Amino acid sequence: MLALLPQLVLTGLTVGSIYALVALGFVLIYTVTGIFNFAQGEFSMLGALICATLLATHAPLALAALAAVAAVAAVGAATERLVVQPAFGGHPLTLIIITFGASMVYRGIALMVWGADPYALPEFTPGPPLILFGGVLGRQALWAIGLSVGVVAALFAFFTRTVWGAALRACADNAFASRLVGISPRRMSLFAFTLSAALGALAGIVIAPISGATYDMGLALGLKGFVAAVIGGLGSAPAAVVGGYAVGLIETLTTGYLTPGYGDAITFLVLLVVLFLQREGLLRGARRRAA
Amino acid sequence: MARGGGRRRTLWLVALGAALAALPVAAPSAYALTLFNIIGLYAIVTVGLVLLGSSGQVSLGQAAFYGIGAYVSALLAKDLGWSTLATVPLAIVCVAGAAYLVGLPTLRLADHFFVLATLGVGIIVNVLMIQMVPVTGGASGLRDIPGLGAWGLRVTTDRQFYYVVWTCVLAAVLVARNITSHRTGRALRAILGSEVGAAALGIDVARYKMQVFVLSAAYAALAGALYAHYVRFISPSPFSLYASLFFLVMAVVGGLTNIWGGLVGAAAVTVLDQVIRAEMPLVFPRVGGEYQTAIYGILLIVIMLFFPAGLVRRALDLGRTRREAGGET
Repeated sequence: MLALLPQLVLTGLTVGSIYALVALGFVLIYTVTGIFNFAQGEFSMLGALICATLLATHAPLALAALAAVAAVAAVGAATERLVVQPAFGGHPLTLIIITFGASMVYRGIALMVWGADPYALPEFTPGPPLILFGGVLGRQALWAIGLSVGVVAALFAFFTRTVWGAALRACADNAFASRLVGISPRRMSLFAFTLSAALGALAGIVIAPISGATYDMGLALGLKGFVAAVIGGLGSAPAAVVGGYAVGLIETLTTGYLTPGYGDAITFLVLLVVLFLQREGLLRGARRRAA
Repeated sequence: MARGGGRRRTLWLVALGAALAALPVAAPSAYALTLFNIIGLYAIVTVGLVLLGSSGQVSLGQAAFYGIGAYVSALLAKDLGWSTLATVPLAIVCVAGAAYLVGLPTLRLADHFFVLATLGVGIIVNVLMIQMVPVTGGASGLRDIPGLGAWGLRVTTDRQFYYVVWTCVLAAVLVARNITSHRTGRALRAILGSEVGAAALGIDVARYKMQVFVLSAAYAALAGALYAHYVRFISPSPFSLYASLFFLVMAVVGGLTNIWGGLVGAAAVTVLDQVIRAEMPLVFPRVGGEYQTAIYGILLIVIMLFFPAGLVRRALDLGRTRREAGGET
């Protein structure tokens, strides 16, 4: 039993780092606009599939990945402008249904364009895996963990050191007051959607070499990201990252030690328990501050 | 005026009842009759969802309640040999209890948490249906479920089932109409407008939301139980998240707060789905599966942006303005 543990923990950290990226994008939009973006997972799916298509034209990996992230960021911006912005100020239900509708549109379009078969992405740096504490850690897993840590650090610097980061934080804190000092909440909302679409695309591209890219990968990824964000309390970026790792570990440990098929059910059971216990999430702390 | 309106409504109801009763006789084919039956089942779920929408809530777990209703009634009738007269109400009670347990902690939270919780319940229930093989039969499902029957009378043909299901639909609509046009309905509209405002008026917001949520789950359970005894075979796939989205589209097309709209929405979307399934492979030959989601997604967005009251209400309003304009000239 215990011999399995290091492997499960390493796998959990790998998928957890991806969930953390999705959760980050999700928290970013939620804190700035108050919108629960149910289409968040689809950004990852689009990123992975666009990258796979670009690679098929023999583009170098780094270029393909960057172009895919940029393309998905544009999709995020378009989503905000076309369907979210016009519904601002409506009943919360309206925005929930609209973002859900957007996720269905992306999933359906992806199915029409790419079909139902999975696409494989090559590992960023092929090579033999690392052996750590008796567990195997693939090189792509290192990329996933490293990139998510790097992105969190970069975001932290962005939010604390730049004017745009400060403006986003101001808007998250109080949209009305930030308008008074010349920050446009509409522009910040557009910015939040663009940035979080880019984050989602990055997560999709990094995980695709491990799990493959399919038109329906966004649903599961997005839902795990929501659970991570809710566990983290929805208000802070670092807490969302911790939530992401928590969901990854819970998922691999339960599938490893319990029957495999129950993994999804247990993740959502954890979500329900967290919702039951407190709406602020398990990791209390500075709500609505960091991001 | 009010009495005249009431008489007119009764006339409308009688006319509708007569039209519905005559429909199977006029049905052009067995396929059409099956379609009417399916529409009836979906209409019951959708009316429940509209009832929930009247309080400003939306659930993405309706397919789970629909599914639990189907499995409970099917298992009781099949394994214990109970009469469907007992199993269908029992299934409804079970689901209402489950909905109460789900609603207890989540209905007090903000809208999106409730949506997320119902989504989670939907996924958990679907996983359980697939994994609990000894009870549910797993992915291959349950076969040989007894049909509806009581006192020696058995519902065996599509036409017999049609009368059963549409009686249930009319009852469901009338109960829902009764709720929304009286005290509870006014409370629900107040909650829809502003929860804080409603609470300030002395309305017990959490209680009303709970009642409506439990009732909407019970509606789904009734439809699910009827479905199990109609098709006589159930498997987890018709109760997946996709089905919940499908129900949501029906409710939104009809108008999230419009009871009769729910009926029309269910009929319109079911027919649309049949058309899409028939026509889309001609346009995209290599695409299988859930490509319709794109169309439904666009439908959701367009309706929520431009006709938040639903297409049915929109059509009614258009008709009224045209009539009034016609009266003036």
